[in-house]
Amino acid sequence: MSVCNIRIFEYCYKLGVSEMKYLKVEVIGVSPPCPRCKKTEENARKAASKLIQEGVKVEVTKLDITAKETISKYGVLMSPAIAINGVVKVMGKVLDVGVIERLLREAL
Amino acid sequence: MERKRALKTTLMLSFILFFAIMMVRAIVGAYTLTPTSTAEDLKVLPLWKIPLVYIWDYAQHGWICLGFAFTVAGLVSEFIPQGFMMRYMSSGKPVSYLVATLIAPLLCVCSCTMVPIFAGLIYAGGGIGPALTFLLVAPANNILADIVTIQVLGWQIALADMVAAGISAVVIGYLVSKTPWGKKFERQFKNNQGQVASVELMKQPVDERLWNALKFGGYLAKRIIPAFLVGLVAVSYFQAFFPADLVKVYLTGASGVVLAALLGGPLYTPTLIEVALGKALVDLGMSPGATVAWLMGQPYDIPNSLSTSRIVGWKIVISYGVLAFAFAVSSGLIYSLLVGGI
Repeated sequence: MSVCNIRIFEYCYKLGVSEMKYLKVEVIGVSPPCPRCKKTEENARKAASKLIQEGVKVEVTKLDITAKETISKYGVLMSPAIAINGVVKVMGKVLDVGVIERLLREAL
Repeated sequence: MERKRALKTTLMLSFILFFAIMMVRAIVGAYTLTPTSTAEDLKVLPLWKIPLVYIWDYAQHGWICLGFAFTVAGLVSEFIPQGFMMRYMSSGKPVSYLVATLIAPLLCVCSCTMVPIFAGLIYAGGGIGPALTFLLVAPANNILADIVTIQVLGWQIALADMVAAGISAVVIGYLVSKTPWGKKFERQFKNNQGQVASVELMKQPVDERLWNALKFGGYLAKRIIPAFLVGLVAVSYFQAFFPADLVKVYLTGASGVVLAALLGGPLYTPTLIEVALGKALVDLGMSPGATVAWLMGQPYDIPNSLSTSRIVGWKIVISYGVLAFAFAVSSGLIYSLLVGGI
């Protein structure tokens, strides 16, 4: 954590925002993964690591798009998809790291 | 930053425009975008040179068509309203058949997107009928294959194939959903119907969406072109050495339609290769009716059937396979009658 981020953290703490937000990122794809699903997971992890460096709690998991639990939760999707905190935000496309990062920040 | 974005957008738009204009030029000028080599030209060449000459021939004429097809495929799948489509296709109402036949072709999907949607439609209680319609239409009628078919085999055959594939997919889906085993299978998922999933797709600015589209087009090209090249090597030898007499005897007339449907089915040909192989067969003398049957035989190839049978079981796969075969044959025959005699 850089000095600057520690300052932000302390600032938040003083303001009373002691509890940092938590992001649950689910990458939904086929298993075994197709190239596009793999790339999406990779990019999501890269984007997440940037936020993690700033002290945000981000957890990236993978879901199988054809599993019954996934379908009953999210319905019919195009692979690969990304859900943040239980809401599907993207489907059927591979996004760049920067775009996913923006998406994560919007969800904060 | 803003300037960089504007520049990038301009570049992307010019790239798209370039292919659109080249394509229009080719259509207006009636250039042929397909290989012009005949069996006679190829036969006299040394063995190693045949595929090279044939592929060069394709590359010279076909790059515009392929470039255009991949660009359009990317654009369409990016700008299609996905949320809307998924919602209606899984609604379990008659409208879902319509959405499956009309919109599925716009999605250029490889099997790794198609099978999840198929499975999703079934588990979400969308019904086996629309799911099967989607499964049958998507590979036969996707926009990439359609553009190439129009260019390579002519719009009459391409149109006949699209219409026939669309109609038969709806009828097959409906019929299979009414069979006792279809109904039994569907009942397992009835309770899942009508669940509201939480989907709030993000909105992206246009320049990012264009980039997504071109990236996807490039991805498709990267996946499909190597297989296409390998396929063309085989097709070149086929065109050079396969006896035209055999094609003229067996792939014309009513029996030719049946045989073409039989061959076009189980034979697994990656996207676009069945078009190239079809073109070689047409040059060797396959009748138009048989060509339509050949193209329609695609959705029930063996690898595809294997992956769907894991989801729905063999009974359903065999039912739709037999029906699809019957439809391929009858469409071939009807087309033969329409264009004048079998």
